[in-house]
Amino acid sequence: MKLQFNLNGKLVETEASADATLLSVLRDNLGLTGTKEGCGVGECGACSVLLDGRLVNSCLTLAAQVNGHKVITIEGMCLPDGSPNDLQQAFIEVGAVQCGFCTPGMVLAGEALLAENARPSRLEIRTAIAGNLCRCTGYQQIVDAIQITAQKRQEKKTDA
Amino acid sequence: MHQFGYVQAASVSDAVLLLNEPGLQSRPLAGGTDILLQLKHEPQFCDRLVDISQLTELHRIEQRDGWVHIGAAATFAEVLENPIISATAPVLAQACATVGATQIRNMGTLGGNVANAAACADSLPALICLDATAKILTPAGEEEIPLSEFVTGPNCTSLPSGGLLVSLSYPIPEEGSRSAFLKLGRRNAMAISRLTVAALGRVDAQRVITEARLVTGSATPRIERLAAVEQTLVGKKPTAELYRQAAAVTVDEMIRLAGYRWSSEFKVPALTAMTERVFAQVFDHKEVR
Repeated sequence: MKLQFNLNGKLVETEASADATLLSVLRDNLGLTGTKEGCGVGECGACSVLLDGRLVNSCLTLAAQVNGHKVITIEGMCLPDGSPNDLQQAFIEVGAVQCGFCTPGMVLAGEALLAENARPSRLEIRTAIAGNLCRCTGYQQIVDAIQITAQKRQEKKTDA
Repeated sequence: MHQFGYVQAASVSDAVLLLNEPGLQSRPLAGGTDILLQLKHEPQFCDRLVDISQLTELHRIEQRDGWVHIGAAATFAEVLENPIISATAPVLAQACATVGATQIRNMGTLGGNVANAAACADSLPALICLDATAKILTPAGEEEIPLSEFVTGPNCTSLPSGGLLVSLSYPIPEEGSRSAFLKLGRRNAMAISRLTVAALGRVDAQRVITEARLVTGSATPRIERLAAVEQTLVGKKPTAELYRQAAAVTVDEMIRLAGYRWSSEFKVPALTAMTERVFAQVFDHKEVR
């Protein structure tokens, strides 16, 4: 079937079978391999993307269901010049990235949280990333990166 | 994944027509968090998915004539963020908040949780505690069934083939009622519940219990209000000793209904503590709700 949806701010069109997941369409049809397949059963969050602003597992979402909707993947997170955004930069600076497999999902989980809660507590951050597994970092640095970004964005707002 | 078809329903009545199209085994698709996994394991489960997730009327949550009506395709996130739900049924908001993690709560739906009727479904004890009913649409017409009768056992419902669960409704508990939900899992996030308890209660001006309801999840084959427990509480003043008595009756009821199983050794002390705790949350507060 023919699919048409807004991907990272641009309208895309692709052909996919009715049983294709959003994950496979993103990776195999559209070549956006930033979204990872971890468990494939909705447990690990490596395939997280934003669907109409909401964090979802793309391995459990049918591509057909996003027809006409808005999808944001990790490729849509960077600055216009292609460099990492402030949250991605914070992940790098505090050492929240080791093997990197969970990172795209973690960044999107962080962005989804910050969009609805500009000043999250550490507990709220931990709850927000509870559906994203990381087997390297022990999570502390990931929580740090999200918290530091929240603070910096607040400071920027008050300066402006 | 294996080949199956997909069609988007244009309306609720269209969905019922599509589900009953001859020659095809069709199933409704709401959040997909259960059925897509089911199709991975069992490709023959159905030939075609009828997508009902895009129908706005199935996401609607509204209050009418003393009842709250929730569209079957409302996601857990939509339910737990809704002010009508948090004002009238904290027990349901709390139950939805314990489901999976953000990603699952954003896709998974209340109707899907009910229609799959897993023994460990988090929303079922809360809904049955609220005396909820299920509205079913079939080509023959509409039917409203008490949820405790709709869910007949683990993964079993009385949903006729080709029928669609359209909405869930509950009567708004009387003024002054309080409710609470507790879940025991292996960890906080993504945990399949090992045990859940949903309770609702009310005291009069003299602090005598006028109403008490208790429903357990993952404990008995059928999810239902435990009348014996409720009778232990009504007409008495809430005290820690009374909660202990209620907990003892709850455990007896679990063993009477489910038998003494391999897990009972663990479930008995856990259910005892959870029952005492949930009634303390319901009754040991001065403020209303």
